[in-house]
Amino acid sequence: MSCLTVTDLNAFYGRAQALFNVSIRATKGEIIALIGANGAGKSTFFDSVMGLARATGTVQVAGTDVLGRKPATIVAHGVGYAPERFNLFPYMSVRDTLLVGAYTARGDIERNLGIVHSLFPRLKEREGQEISTQSGGERQMVSLGRALMTSPQVLLVDEPTIGLAPKVCIEIAGVLRRLRDEFGLTIVIAEQNANFALSLAERVYVLESGRVKAEGTAAELSENEAFAEAYFGH
Amino acid sequence: MLQILIQGLLLSGLYALIAMGFTLIFSVGRVLNLAYGTYLLAGGYTYFYFAQQLGLPKFAGVGLAAVVGAAMGLAKFQAIVKPLKGNHVAVEISTLILAVVVQAGIIFRFGDSSKILLPIVPGVGRVADIAIPYSNLIAAIVSWVILIALYVFARSTHIGRAMRAVSMDPKGAALSGVDTDRVNAFTWGISGTLGAVAGVFFASYTQLYPGMWVAPLIIAVAVVIVGGIGSIFGTLIVAHIVGFMEIITSSLIAPELRGVFTMILIIGVLIARPHGLFGREEP
Repeated sequence: MSCLTVTDLNAFYGRAQALFNVSIRATKGEIIALIGANGAGKSTFFDSVMGLARATGTVQVAGTDVLGRKPATIVAHGVGYAPERFNLFPYMSVRDTLLVGAYTARGDIERNLGIVHSLFPRLKEREGQEISTQSGGERQMVSLGRALMTSPQVLLVDEPTIGLAPKVCIEIAGVLRRLRDEFGLTIVIAEQNANFALSLAERVYVLESGRVKAEGTAAELSENEAFAEAYFGH
Repeated sequence: MLQILIQGLLLSGLYALIAMGFTLIFSVGRVLNLAYGTYLLAGGYTYFYFAQQLGLPKFAGVGLAAVVGAAMGLAKFQAIVKPLKGNHVAVEISTLILAVVVQAGIIFRFGDSSKILLPIVPGVGRVADIAIPYSNLIAAIVSWVILIALYVFARSTHIGRAMRAVSMDPKGAALSGVDTDRVNAFTWGISGTLGAVAGVFFASYTQLYPGMWVAPLIIAVAVVIVGGIGSIFGTLIVAHIVGFMEIITSSLIAPELRGVFTMILIIGVLIARPHGLFGREEP
């Protein structure tokens, strides 16, 4: 059953078009990846899905078209988003930041806090710490935790490994797998790191200049010569 | 000395209340609401009309002033701020024009002469031979109660946390499920309420007249600039610095110079610490 279906998505910044008829589909409990270089349109894709960029097309979440709605409405429909730049609240504590994430899911606070703390025990240990004093890895954890506090069915994660130490990247990958396997979340990640994306995702979409240039399973794409040349240099 | 201390505390509590509504809008909406003083103006005249002209109970007059302030705040957000979203210069010019329009409306309805507001609580108490008008004491106590309630509200409720979140990162707040337009509208309503209630006390402390919106605006701007954006604690401290400076100046130097040192303080802080004494630089 398709949990997220995006069809013919076109996105615009002013008069400039940033996405061209992008279509992707993710089923329940699946991890898919969007890979592409800087400027390929990965973040614009997420911003369009979340109602932060002007877009046309359709974005269906569990059968409901949410395109053009406010971000808060889209979150309430079950889409959580951990953006590349985190967009955290610098002078707020970890706990309060997570509670802001629970704004539309107040009935699930204890359950979701339990999940977040089981995935990231460090956030429990440092729940009183101010975000501005945290490391990049800790901020990524808070960002993912805040998105999970919204009780999502679909989790969008933009560049989860950017600027992070390899150990933290492995930790993040483990968390994303647990979210898929234990909680049945549908996860869409955007990555420049093709190795990371292929190791995690069941299916991959390759974005170039705002267009889907290729799609397939990790195995299929690894055997695609043009893809291998572009991303692995062989 | 004791007189300066008591008068300073009473005036500072009122200044903190005046500044708080302005601080909220500046922090959450990043809007310099130059019509903020009109909430005080409307609050004062609403109280005057209902409590003094129609003879309603005084506390009903304060309540109605709060309702009018909230309605003005919400209307201003919906009619001006939301349509002009992101265009700060246009918002500031529009709010300034609106202030002049409100002042003209007040003159049209009530005339341009000053009005004396009867004390909300009549009578004068004494501490060590120093007279303390109960009305001023009540104003200071109400200010403190409202400010403490606001602090607790911002720290421990979902909407309060959402307001803080919007003030720090509106996009992050939206991605957390916070409807930023609603939070902004709510904040404008609260700001109008605080301003209008402050206006009742300010008018009873001074006088009620159509140009009354300017002085509180200057106080609010001073407290926000010196205190720093988004700091309730900073607003409280600086309201006391400004209040005490005014009392000390008018008691020990000259009443005519009452506001001069506040202006000098603003310029000094803008030069030495542009983000305010208690504000923090954008990370």
